Amino acid sequence: MNLLRPVMLSLCLLLTVQGCSDPQPASSPSEPSSPTAGVDPVEAAAPPLPTHWTNEDLSGMDAGPVSPSMLVAGNRVANRWIQYGGDYANHRHSPITRLTPEAVPNLRVAWAFPTGTLGQFEVSPVVYDGVMYVTSSYNRLFALAATTGELIWRYDHAQPDDLRICCGPINRGVAISGDSVLMATLDARLLAFHRKTGQLLWDTTIADYRAGFSTTSAPLIVKNLAIIGVAGGEYGVRGFFDAYDINDGQRVWRHYTLPAAGQPGEETWSGDSYLRGGSPAWTTGAYDPETDTLYWTTGNPAPDWNGDARMGDNLFSNSLIALNPDTGERLWHFQFTPHDVWDYDGNSHIFLVDITYQGRAVKAVVQANRNGFFYILDRSNGEFLSASSYLEQVNWASIDDKGRPEVDAAAYPTEEPSHRVCPGNIGGTNGAWSGAYSPDLKTVFVSSVEACQLFQKGISVYIEGNSFMGGAPQPSDTVSGRAYGNLSAIDVQTGAVKWRYRDDQPMMAGTLSTAGGVVFSGNLNGYALALDAADGKLLWKFKMGGGVRSQPIAYEIDGTAYVAIGSGSWASFETFTGGPANIPEGGHLFVFAIP
Amino acid sequence: MPLVAVVVLLTACGDSGPADRMLQQPEDLKRGRNLFVGSCMGYCHSMQDAKKDIPYLFDCEWLHGGSDDQIFTTITNGVEGTKMLGVGNKLPEGSTDTWRLVAFLKSERRPC
Repeated sequence: MNLLRPVMLSLCLLLTVQGCSDPQPASSPSEPSSPTAGVDPVEAAAPPLPTHWTNEDLSGMDAGPVSPSMLVAGNRVANRWIQYGGDYANHRHSPITRLTPEAVPNLRVAWAFPTGTLGQFEVSPVVYDGVMYVTSSYNRLFALAATTGELIWRYDHAQPDDLRICCGPINRGVAISGDSVLMATLDARLLAFHRKTGQLLWDTTIADYRAGFSTTSAPLIVKNLAIIGVAGGEYGVRGFFDAYDINDGQRVWRHYTLPAAGQPGEETWSGDSYLRGGSPAWTTGAYDPETDTLYWTTGNPAPDWNGDARMGDNLFSNSLIALNPDTGERLWHFQFTPHDVWDYDGNSHIFLVDITYQGRAVKAVVQANRNGFFYILDRSNGEFLSASSYLEQVNWASIDDKGRPEVDAAAYPTEEPSHRVCPGNIGGTNGAWSGAYSPDLKTVFVSSVEACQLFQKGISVYIEGNSFMGGAPQPSDTVSGRAYGNLSAIDVQTGAVKWRYRDDQPMMAGTLSTAGGVVFSGNLNGYALALDAADGKLLWKFKMGGGVRSQPIAYEIDGTAYVAIGSGSWASFETFTGGPANIPEGGHLFVFAIP
Repeated sequence: MPLVAVVVLLTACGDSGPADRMLQQPEDLKRGRNLFVGSCMGYCHSMQDAKKDIPYLFDCEWLHGGSDDQIFTTITNGVEGTKMLGVGNKLPEGSTDTWRLVAFLKSERRPC
């Protein structure tokens, strides 16, 4: 299963011919001939590094294609983790009962694997048929034996030098369907590979990255469609998310998150500001198979920190949108932060949960929003039920009984800011990391940043493909050392915080819940962490190295339980948020096991 | 003073061009600052000298030339192969705004 065959991509060959190799200095007539004189410089140059190693040994991979029913079951079958969110409801809750508070101190490293790349390692691995699919920063994709870490196939995406990425070379993982593994790329393409061989099946351009688009999230598979949204809120793009046919990569529908002229919502943007209003869709949504409803969320309006030229609520930025997954038609929406001028993207992890709210059964969707409030909505119609702060510091607004913020006038950005606004622009939580939900405890577990900022606005100028932010947050708490983090347990039926685990640094990693009553995550000092889901007590930690920004998963094969957590952060962002900037970068996946 | 010495002195002391004249004008510097905050900062250039993958612009290290004209040209044309696009003449007040940016950068430059 580990036969690797290097494949030189045609693109790289083209680059070689057109200038990948160092140019040869021209010889003057008076110079002696060099040893390579008369040899074509292209032939004399070293061959480019292979960027694609495929696999020819298919033994041991006989579970069959991933079916729609498997995706509905999600990780309820413990030897799989086949959705970014664990399942369509995004619970990230493992059914493995042996991962208990008593057992986790016995976790030992089973294997580890380097990515060879810098920048945040934010992956949520996918596990199926004994194979783990891991993406790294800069879109490397590795297929590894899930029990040993042995490399099966590998693809390194050739990136252009002028990517339009605001916040690091991120990728959060693949989607799997049939025999295809799908990865979206920083240059806004969607690629499909054969899950066994690693052969490229199709390659679709989602958008022109030079206009400010990129993709960083894991696609969501719904029936025969792969749904993926774009980043670009810091570049004034017109945000959207798409559905592609998983068989051939052809686009089936596109849902713009901004209205066109004359469409509902245009009236919420002054002038023609909706044309460059951002509102990207850079995280993975959720799906309710019972009602055949897709849920997707959107990010900030552009420019981020100066809303003067886009007066109004700026629909459909910072919103939760319910849709028909077959057509992309919007059913309803709820906007968390109208007229956002703090970069409070509305796209942190959403959970579909069935709860009892004030005595009545509710099929709810809940979210710990980047703006600091935990929202409970009725997912059948978008009705607002409640919002409550899950942070220790929130002062930008309170929420009225219809779910609309009542903003403190002092919180708006100014040219000479002096008022600490909480939370800062990173949140709270953030779409860059996931949350987890224990149905047993009716509790959500989320990592968060506790830091306030001064929001400064300036003059924003739109130039296609250039950054379009209109201001800058000043990380005052980071500079003064006041920033810290919590991993919080939130009651999904009331929004009350049950417990908090505090860390000296902002906590910016995803979480994993287990049926055995454990919550896994990590911190920016490079520790993998296991907490007791009942009270937040620290049960176990392991120093992996780089700061943890990944999304932990668990799976069970041949009687052994495994927990996978990635290590590796991005020094630039740690400097901004208050994490340690002196820990070197470099992605490394650790897989722990309990026999 | 011989002519050659004057030329050398002018070259050594700076450009004495539009940016230098704007250094004496508080309103120009304020607009330059607001342009920098609104169009150059955010998740890109920082006013803090911290480890970032994007150059810090208030020290003495210039990747593409540190004279006023060179900075003006970099802002105008951008940097090939990076996400730094040139603003061309698209700032609201055209090249005058570009010079205000240059002036603001000079006003905040640390001693070399």
